Amino acid sequence: MSVVTDSLVHSSSSDDFVAFLDAELNASSPNSSPDNEAENEDELESVRIKRQKFESIEETEGSTSEGIIIRNLEASAEVDVCTHPGSFGNMCIRCGQKLDGEAGVTFGYIHKGLRLHDEEISRLRNADMKSLLCRKKLYLVLDLDHTLLNSTHLAHLSSEESYLFNQTDSLADVSKGSLFKLEHMHMMTKLRPFVRPFLKEASEMFEMYIYTMGDRPYALEMAKLLDPQGEYFNSKVISRDDGTQKHQKGLDVVLGQESAVLILDDTEHAWTKHKDNLILMERYHFFASSCRQFGFSCKSLAELKSDENETDGALAKILQVLKQVHCIYFDKDQEDLVDRDVRQVLSTVRSEVLSGCVILFSRICHGALPFLQKMAEQMGATCLTEIDSSVTHVVATDVGTEKSRWAVKENKILVHPLWIEAANYFWQKQPEENFIIKKKL
Amino acid sequence: MFFHIVLERNMQLHPRYFGRNLRENLVSKLMKDVEGTCSGRHGFVVAVTGIENIGKGLIRDGTGFVTFPVKYQCVVFRPFKGEILEAVVTMVNKMGFFAEAGPVQIFVSNHLIPDDMEFQSGDMPNYTTSDGSVKIQKDSEVRLKIIGTRVDATEIFCIGTIKDDFLGVINDPATV
Repeated sequence: MSVVTDSLVHSSSSDDFVAFLDAELNASSPNSSPDNEAENEDELESVRIKRQKFESIEETEGSTSEGIIIRNLEASAEVDVCTHPGSFGNMCIRCGQKLDGEAGVTFGYIHKGLRLHDEEISRLRNADMKSLLCRKKLYLVLDLDHTLLNSTHLAHLSSEESYLFNQTDSLADVSKGSLFKLEHMHMMTKLRPFVRPFLKEASEMFEMYIYTMGDRPYALEMAKLLDPQGEYFNSKVISRDDGTQKHQKGLDVVLGQESAVLILDDTEHAWTKHKDNLILMERYHFFASSCRQFGFSCKSLAELKSDENETDGALAKILQVLKQVHCIYFDKDQEDLVDRDVRQVLSTVRSEVLSGCVILFSRICHGALPFLQKMAEQMGATCLTEIDSSVTHVVATDVGTEKSRWAVKENKILVHPLWIEAANYFWQKQPEENFIIKKKL
Repeated sequence: MFFHIVLERNMQLHPRYFGRNLRENLVSKLMKDVEGTCSGRHGFVVAVTGIENIGKGLIRDGTGFVTFPVKYQCVVFRPFKGEILEAVVTMVNKMGFFAEAGPVQIFVSNHLIPDDMEFQSGDMPNYTTSDGSVKIQKDSEVRLKIIGTRVDATEIFCIGTIKDDFLGVINDPATV
């Protein structure tokens, strides 16, 4: 015997609806053919339930005769009260009424003129979540500049980089090349090594978005270079024209639950509201203009005629981290999938990087110290301020300090602060031999 | 719906075009200016079919330009609320699908797609019935009903539905 337990209130007009139903059912109920008692009991049960007020919104299921009547009544009730889930060209997408409101968020990157209101966005996010979890995928938001590629104006190329003009790859078959000259934008773009295998493998675990601080034409051009077939980023390219706040990136324009989004970006301060979802990426400086922009006076990779290591570079390492997070997220059998949060998984993975290390800082400048300390603690290390026998690493910039000399005497590992930063970028404890402090002469 | 109507416009012509070919220049300028534009009242001007009348030109004070009032016949396209149209699907996503009927952009939200059709994402995102018999994907032809229109200077936006009887896919590109 199936008991009708589904809520029938599909929209907000519950009071009228219930009264309406009552009237309808009272007209039909006592005389309707009681072929079996069970059917009658169902009716009474459902009448009782309809009289209650329901907060939750569920879809009606079931194909009892009651169900069919209910669906018809619902349809007529809905036409009267349209919730205006969104607008296209300032018209409600459900009833066609003119809407001039500023409510909701513009999704111009999907199609010009599209705007969705908050309830609809939540509904879409929830619905999408279920489909995503079935396909075992999460969301990945990728930054462009200095993360997946490096661009420069043609005019800003240094003299030592001018050889690149002869080495650009053809735009006809983009999938084979990595250095492109875009005449109409006066730019040259170099894709980061390993970016294509990275995108291919990541696309199997994640639904990917591009989110850049460049303008829309630039973003779309770059998407064409990275994804010529349009299989990864089709209508998921967000530029600064689509963001809701100036100089800040936000997940409000991404149609995915925040608990399932990972962000890959080289700039932390662009994501102040979503730091927990962020995986910080080591910046890719191929062109000299990029180095200069960040204040580095060293020679750029292009000037040195070299490039990042393909299989061992930043993208390859981050891909491993992404695989790890994905694996853990979909692996736990204890909790329900819906309650999992990718941010928690990320912080758990991060806290294993330096777990077991006990760090003592020595004469690090005041500005950098809290920052380094927080970084180390997030990675699972314990930070001490005084000499103690449990210390495993001493981090200093000078071999002559008291703590440094103590470290050497007690056979503790003495490293440069860059060791902590490297661990942060590569999500792995780096060999300490590569971070020995150079003696000041 | 298409209409064949007579419209009037004041065309300004620079003196360099005067001469033997004045009328041709005027007509080609008219076509360049008017074809492809939209107005709220008439809709989208598809093509100018003929010139009915060109009035006497008036020289403007201060500049050498001459204004000619031109009456011309043209085909216009204007969608109406309640009209049934055939359109080609251009983009399918979880919010619904976008279709084009000539210069008109129509959006059919998933609220107005029959409940038995579900969104399938992937390489070729589509809406499919549970038994797989009907599929809406890019380049499918659909018959839809317009429930709202809005016209601006260059484009016409419409909201459509396929939730009524006899609406939906006409032609499946996979089988063609």
